[in-house]
Amino acid sequence: MKIQVVRIIAKQVRKNTIKNRSTRWLIGIFNVLLFFALISGFYSYSHQHQTVEHYSHEVREKWEKNPDKHPHRMAHYGYVVFRQKHPLSFFDFGMDSYVGNAVFLEAHKQNTVNFSQASLSNGLLRFGEISVGMLLQLLLPLLIFFWGFGLITEERQHGTLRILLTQDVSWQELIIGKSVGLFCLSLMVYLPCFILAFILLLLDTSIYNHIEVITRFLILVISYLSYFFILSLLAVYVSSQSKSSKASLISLIGFWLFFALILPKVSQVAGKNLFVSPSKIEFDTVVEQELIKQGDSHDPNDPHFKKIKDSLLKAYHVDSTHKLPFNYGGYIMREGERLSAETYQKHQIKLIEVYKKQQNLIKLTAPLNPLIAIKNISMSLSGTDYVAYHDFQNQVETYRYHLAQTMNELQMKYISNKVKNSADKGARISKKHWEEFPDFKAQFLPLSVVISHEIVSFLSLISWILVFWILVKYSGKHLKAF
Amino acid sequence: MIVLLIKNFIRSKGFLVGLAILFISGMIGLNIGKQFLDKNRDIIEKTAHFQKENIHRYVQYMDKEMGLLLYYVRFGLVNETPNIVGLSIGQRDINPSLHSVTIRNLEEQKYTTDLMNPMYQLIGNMDLSFVIIYFFPLIIISFGFNLVSEEKEEGTWSLVLSQTSNPQKMLRLKVGIRYISILFILFLLLIIAKFYLSIPFDIYLITYILTAFLYVSFWFSLVWLVISFHKSSSQNALILLTSWITLTIIVPALMNALVIQLYPIPEAFSTVLESRDGYHTQWDKAKEPTIEKFHQLYPQLAHFQHPKNKDFSWLWYYAMQQMGDETAIESSKILKEKIRKRENLSKTLALLIPTIHTQLTMNAVCSSDMANYLKFVEALEEFHKQKRMFFYPKIFSDTPVSSENWDNFNLEYFKNQPFINLYMVLLPYIITTILCLLWANINFGRKKYTL
Repeated sequence: MKIQVVRIIAKQVRKNTIKNRSTRWLIGIFNVLLFFALISGFYSYSHQHQTVEHYSHEVREKWEKNPDKHPHRMAHYGYVVFRQKHPLSFFDFGMDSYVGNAVFLEAHKQNTVNFSQASLSNGLLRFGEISVGMLLQLLLPLLIFFWGFGLITEERQHGTLRILLTQDVSWQELIIGKSVGLFCLSLMVYLPCFILAFILLLLDTSIYNHIEVITRFLILVISYLSYFFILSLLAVYVSSQSKSSKASLISLIGFWLFFALILPKVSQVAGKNLFVSPSKIEFDTVVEQELIKQGDSHDPNDPHFKKIKDSLLKAYHVDSTHKLPFNYGGYIMREGERLSAETYQKHQIKLIEVYKKQQNLIKLTAPLNPLIAIKNISMSLSGTDYVAYHDFQNQVETYRYHLAQTMNELQMKYISNKVKNSADKGARISKKHWEEFPDFKAQFLPLSVVISHEIVSFLSLISWILVFWILVKYSGKHLKAF
Repeated sequence: MIVLLIKNFIRSKGFLVGLAILFISGMIGLNIGKQFLDKNRDIIEKTAHFQKENIHRYVQYMDKEMGLLLYYVRFGLVNETPNIVGLSIGQRDINPSLHSVTIRNLEEQKYTTDLMNPMYQLIGNMDLSFVIIYFFPLIIISFGFNLVSEEKEEGTWSLVLSQTSNPQKMLRLKVGIRYISILFILFLLLIIAKFYLSIPFDIYLITYILTAFLYVSFWFSLVWLVISFHKSSSQNALILLTSWITLTIIVPALMNALVIQLYPIPEAFSTVLESRDGYHTQWDKAKEPTIEKFHQLYPQLAHFQHPKNKDFSWLWYYAMQQMGDETAIESSKILKEKIRKRENLSKTLALLIPTIHTQLTMNAVCSSDMANYLKFVEALEEFHKQKRMFFYPKIFSDTPVSSENWDNFNLEYFKNQPFINLYMVLLPYIITTILCLLWANINFGRKKYTL
């Protein structure tokens, strides 16, 4: 393959297409759309970030301001956690609008994360949201197809293809050259947006770890570039295989509809039927029934907890719980919290497994569907996929458990067994304990974990390029010049 | 001529495939709707059962104090799901159709969400409305984009011109055949839907059918307009697909961004904090002011007093709980107000955009829109209030648990009859369709039928 020839063909494609006034209009419109999406996405990210910071600060302040009181009261006062978006979330909204934003954490109970954007919006949201990710994944392919469908068929129809081929240009050079030209043309659409996004990231003061975020962004950019290169190859290859421009356009639009609309919907329908997920009421009931079997930590005569009591009395050689060296109520509550959290967690893991199976059915179409591959990669690197949300839920539950158990341990340590109830003077412990309990700080998943979850999608993009390479290399024999 | 045109239409494979795609995806859509209804019914049946079981168990355990019992017992209110929801699931997969609440602080309970796979919510449901809004236009476009241009490009246009004095009549017939075939599939699907989902034939179903019919007609008029410019097949395809993308993806997404930016809802966060503090901080405060405020809210309960020198009474406890709701009342009101504003603004803007107008109308007709959920939440508030009013006197007067017939507490239902303004629903389509047809007529009149 002669690089010089490829370069000339690529340049020719770019020049010829850009000559067209409608091409310049389309590039302009797309740039405007992308800038709008980028800036409004960034604005809403910063806005959300500030709101979350503001209210989280308020939560902490109020927590620390609580007067001296019984630790179990504090466990019920609990904490409120607001979900912080990932700094890259402005790039691709992913599932962000469909997952909750605020959760109340208290002892004994795992509350749902509420107030998703979707729960505050009407049907308009379901048409989809405008984000850079959406425009690049869904609409840019159409643009590339529109520019690319006639690149070979027109040469064939005009008879210039024969001339090219007789001048020692190989099919391989022709297809690669045209694809590179198409790819370079598409750069004019999104390169300005990528640069602006990069600048916004550099200026963003809400980011703690710039290096990690920028690495993520660069991987994101490289993935998108390979995605667009695949699409350029696809467009030119289909054009080379088609009899007429019209046939080529129809096939490419067919590909798009299949990738963007039909395949995701079909895999969703299949997933729903194959893996049935429980409703909240079923989930809660199953957990509740299992907890009832285990015993009620609030009930002093409960057999499970009575057994614990007896063994405690024996171990400490005392005849009454009042004589134990720690607060008995706190001990029992700690045990109850452990049991209920374990049970909940057990069922939660099962539920997540069902969700993951359902999602895998869509995710595993990635090798067939470059659009899903880039979508998965884009969502996960932007921190707006399910893995990121699930990780947040786990952190929240860990924190909640830690809070409840810390309060139970404070009760065991500081509250006398003779205290009647939480209103008693002796039932209060110093507020300095509240200050000692750490604030909730959400961590984003490290890059290595994010990538490991999307290996299939990365491999899919790479293999699409390889497949085209092979196709192009050996296609010359079957292609016709007229 | 018409017979020949019909033969020509039926014999081309592409058209039959197009119609088959619509029919099959429509049937899949109906099936998805059916599954949704079944699952929903199942959840309600189970909940009714669980509620009975739950009450029964707690009544046995906590038979001493009414106050303690009502700390635990939950009462369910169902947002009735009419079968027509199967045609347009709307927001029903996001907002729960059932709330089970105790008589404690309602603010902490009413925003609870159901368990849903967010990936599925993101992709959305492929119900019949989706098929009508997204797939029908695509097939309509593919049926019509090259009506004139194809004949020109394949060289048969000269034959047409030489054999008929009125080529526009032939075009009308061609479009007419396609229009009728698509309408046939649409009505077939709707008739199947009526029986398959057992939807009553009422004003809502009629509005749905009219909306679907006018939406399809709008797309035909758009195709008619585009071919009236006598451009090439590729250009027509490009223009029509761009319109499809603009109307189904870009404009709705832009509008959504606008609505969300115009009405941000930080109140969602503040209500949580306010209701939590409103209740929990009462434990550290003197009891009298709390009870006094409670008495102001419920003068009819003023004769119940907190026993002096006691650390605890149920009166004080439920007064504290009530303070949670009272503190958040303002934020909660603003929150609802803003959601309503979002809803109203999008409905108004939608009048200009047939796709959005269709979706929102179908959701409204099928009781699956935000307005329905807001009404349900209001009903829930009322329901909760009634339960409180019923039990408060019994708790405070320490009525024995056994004196109440607990079997009477079944699930209760909220039934919403949305108001449909037919003019507002139908006029936007009629106006846009007429405009398209008039414009097309001018174009056809201006251009002479030449080669």
